[in-house]
Amino acid sequence: MTDDKDVLRDVWFGRIPTCFTLYQDEITEREAEPYYGKDSSVSFNVVSSLPSMMLYTLEWNRILLLLPRVSYLTLVTDKVKKHFQKVMRQEDISEIWFEYEGTPLKWHYPIGLLFDLLASSSALPWNITVHFKSFPEKDLLHCPSKDAIEAHFMSCMKEADALKHKSQVINEMQKKDHKQLWMGLQNDRFDQFWAINRKLMEYPAEENGFRYIPFRIYQTTTERPFIQKLFRPVAADGQLHTLGDLLKEVCPSAIDPEDGEKKNQVMIHGIEPMLETPLQWLSEHLSYPDNFLHISIIPQPTD
Amino acid sequence: MEEDEFIGEKTFQRYCAEFIKHSQQIGDSWEWRPSKDCSDGYMCKIHFQIKNGSVMSHLGASTHGQTCLPMEEAFELPLDDCEVIETAAASEVIKYEYHVLYSCSYQVPVLYFRASFLDGRPLTLKDIWEGVHECYKMRLLQGPWDTITQQEHPILGQPFFVLHPCKTNEFMTPVLKNSQKINK
Repeated sequence: MTDDKDVLRDVWFGRIPTCFTLYQDEITEREAEPYYGKDSSVSFNVVSSLPSMMLYTLEWNRILLLLPRVSYLTLVTDKVKKHFQKVMRQEDISEIWFEYEGTPLKWHYPIGLLFDLLASSSALPWNITVHFKSFPEKDLLHCPSKDAIEAHFMSCMKEADALKHKSQVINEMQKKDHKQLWMGLQNDRFDQFWAINRKLMEYPAEENGFRYIPFRIYQTTTERPFIQKLFRPVAADGQLHTLGDLLKEVCPSAIDPEDGEKKNQVMIHGIEPMLETPLQWLSEHLSYPDNFLHISIIPQPTD
Repeated sequence: MEEDEFIGEKTFQRYCAEFIKHSQQIGDSWEWRPSKDCSDGYMCKIHFQIKNGSVMSHLGASTHGQTCLPMEEAFELPLDDCEVIETAAASEVIKYEYHVLYSCSYQVPVLYFRASFLDGRPLTLKDIWEGVHECYKMRLLQGPWDTITQQEHPILGQPFFVLHPCKTNEFMTPVLKNSQKINK
């Protein structure tokens, strides 16, 4: 269906306007005095351009960037890092990390998931603070290199295929196919990525879907980072399970009572799919590049 | 996936119960920790060591028993060395934590571990490796293990190191068979 292919593109090219501000400790603030007191009119200075990412400096310590929902923070913030490092003293620089309203941001979660879970009810742009000191060892994984991001990404893909196909499809691929998946993500190449990824979305003709659906459900109200369980896309009687069926089974608190007020939003890629949507369809069309459905349960905004 | 190579979650929990019963019988300190909603949980062992130059000694519960996880042995000396406690300046206490969780994706148990000083400062993998006794280093380097990576603990949400066994079934089968034999 043409419509379905459009969904894949819409998911891939989703962007979040994000404002990165360098964390100001006392020393840097004194040095920055001449730069404060600017009025709200901003002079946009295009520092660099990549095919789909324009970088705007608002002030010397503030950058606006459109972040791809499907990528990872440490993969798309090279320019941010380089720009801020120019205005810092060498001895102050150690591993970069990001924080939103006091919460350290897990670089190993896709950007869209972090936004939906933590900031979707607030006004745009997404305001992220950039740190180069005091890495929160107890909260965040280290990200020593691009290789670490690749290793993490490929590990997620392998786990997804273990659930969908007992790892048969991904293990049959050659190393160059794995590389193509990673390069497609890294370079924002939809066609390059999907040329290989489409194989991971197939299933045997005699089945009605994958063996199990790769999903993770996130809520900020629980200590547990996410819920992940075995769940089949098709019931014993051959009926397709829906998103609502999944939630009823693994996260019943997320389902609002029929006659009551809507308490929660069930969000994927910034939208609320209907609970009647077949889970198999969601898995094929709304998964992130790592082939997982990352689902956020957030409180219904009050305004 | 063959049924005999991989274990379901209920079977995993049953084996853990047997393992912990055995651990209690031999005075080892493995325990079961349920998750907050009690739907699942993991096995946990905490172990303290004084790090004093290159001599390691033990605190707390005796760890004389055989455990089923070779990685555990890496942090212990043979019994005759562990009686000696040297007093000297600059000794630090390190807390080692081992967690055994079930992976529903791969249907196998997975070992998570971390080490920290008592003030909470975590050790890097390099620091931990430096604490491994020489005779175990060789064995570990040759062992049936692929790699160790830092990952988010799926129940606690904190960074841990994870051991990736590339041949878990070969490694686990004798463990499970022995456990069944002992508990009959």
